[in-house]
Amino acid sequence: MTRPLWSGSLSFGLVNVPVVLHSAVRDRGVHFSQLHEPDGSPIQTRRVCALEGREVPYSEIAKGYEMEDGSWVLLSEEDLAAAAPRKSHTIDIEAFIEEREIDPIYLDRPYLLIPENESAARAYALLVEAMGDSGRVALGRFVMRAKEHLVSIRPRGELLTLTTMRFHDEVRSSVDVAAEIEAEAVPGGEQVENAMAIIAELEVPFEPAAYRDEHRAHLQRLIKRKQKGQKISAPAAATMSEPKPTPTAPDLMGALEQSLARIRGENSGAGKKKAKKAPAAQPASRRSRANTKRSR
Amino acid sequence: MPRSLWNGTIAFGLVRVPVRLHTATESKSISFRERHSSDGAAIAHRRVCTAEDREVPYSEIAKGFEVSSGSYVMLSKEEIAAAEGPEAHVIDVEHFVDGREIDPAYYERAYYLSPGKLGDEAYRTLHSALKSSGRVGIGRFLFHGKAHLAALRALEEVIVLHTMRFADEFADPRELEIAKADKRPSKLEIDTARLLVEQLVASFEPESYENSYRAAVLEVIEQKARGEKIQAPRRQEQTGEGELLSALRASLEEGHARKRRRPASAKPSPAEEAPRSSGLSSRSPVKGPRSSGGSSSSSKGASSARRRTRGEG
Repeated sequence: MTRPLWSGSLSFGLVNVPVVLHSAVRDRGVHFSQLHEPDGSPIQTRRVCALEGREVPYSEIAKGYEMEDGSWVLLSEEDLAAAAPRKSHTIDIEAFIEEREIDPIYLDRPYLLIPENESAARAYALLVEAMGDSGRVALGRFVMRAKEHLVSIRPRGELLTLTTMRFHDEVRSSVDVAAEIEAEAVPGGEQVENAMAIIAELEVPFEPAAYRDEHRAHLQRLIKRKQKGQKISAPAAATMSEPKPTPTAPDLMGALEQSLARIRGENSGAGKKKAKKAPAAQPASRRSRANTKRSR
Repeated sequence: MPRSLWNGTIAFGLVRVPVRLHTATESKSISFRERHSSDGAAIAHRRVCTAEDREVPYSEIAKGFEVSSGSYVMLSKEEIAAAEGPEAHVIDVEHFVDGREIDPAYYERAYYLSPGKLGDEAYRTLHSALKSSGRVGIGRFLFHGKAHLAALRALEEVIVLHTMRFADEFADPRELEIAKADKRPSKLEIDTARLLVEQLVASFEPESYENSYRAAVLEVIEQKARGEKIQAPRRQEQTGEGELLSALRASLEEGHARKRRRPASAKPSPAEEAPRSSGLSSRSPVKGPRSSGGSSSSSKGASSARRRTRGEG
């Protein structure tokens, strides 16, 4: 069993439930190490004290903060925990809100929140039951790894999942980006209608398992070939999808009409339109099905 | 003009929309540097070849994949780029979905898109169509050497791109040992807990949740700078199983008392000192007045340290 990332209490009114936090995601990426090119040996990163010129173990590393006068204040983990003693050990539920009120722009990382021990399990189950399928999530704040997080907590089956969220001042305004859009370039009504028709033709239920990380698979194949001593020539790209026609930006309307004709042709060619609607042969994950039911 | 992180094209049917990617979020956490605890000196990170035991320049570094313990396959940058294929700069929109079907756990990072060269009309067409239909485009693209599932949606006047996790990136909760209660909560306990939930129902007003920890850390830094000792914290007590119902009832009582003291406000405000915004849609994170940096309660003491608050990375 993996070690929890954080342990503390989930506090709901005057009820305190000891809980531990685990990441809900695992890293599936293809990771590379640094090698020394001439001899192929691994590279090690060493922390060296600039004053003494010697390697320093991690236990001797402190968190430094530079003051205005150029002096440094060194802080330990204990100092940081002391800055917010309650928040470092407690997730205080401050409110319950409708989940759909949270704009996805606020969402950060998902975690699983589980009871720390058997005696905590009943109070935990109580909170799961109390939220039930109301569509409401609990909102709270806590400190983990010297960082305060706004979090939302939602029941998923018999478990509580926690998502860290960004604070309001960490979400940038879109005004600067919107200002870059050419004000004169107003699309015609027919163009927008065609674009909406394409959206309608390509609409499917969200089935996350239908989308796979092909790049990861490409890299793994490339590593295998290289391991066997094969030479890697430029396009491993031949195995990728057909290259698309060149940009058609000057003739937007033509591109919209052709797309629509083509998609409609494909959809009717496949017989029933409904049959074409599911993205691939993958079954819907439990998660997405439960979620669809809940949100509808 | 905001800098872009990435330039590419949204492919949507046969339509190509050249776009530029901008960050939509920024961390406001206090960032620290590594220092040596005994002498306070800076810490340098040195890349050392383990065979020769000497520091090597960046130009001599290659990427290696560990196929078995201590055995690597070395790949050049060109070979890794070859795996990206010709579509490396295309966000290929495969489907459109109802955004309400997407579990929040899938969302990773948010970016704003602006139109690339000659793309304004196509951008606005897609934006209008997304906005009117309320649908979210789902596609895949390569960014920073990694493939991402992406969601495209309209937010105010711009298109937002969310990188999304792939379904196989989620851990299986069955791999965790989860303590089970030997007795289910009673109906009375559940009903009382539901009353407590009702008492705490509010609408989401992101502005009213301030990061107060930043100010608290700056305060500790000031104390430390003055040579004061920092007191260690203590942990919360657990609510015993037998006390569950009495704790719930006491919480309800407390909530009622709070309401009686403030009869004007119908809902409990999570951060009572923060001004409540009026009339702004809470779904929209970027409307309304934006405070610049720390505000209100944090204006004591830590003025010389606060200037150094900055985003990470």
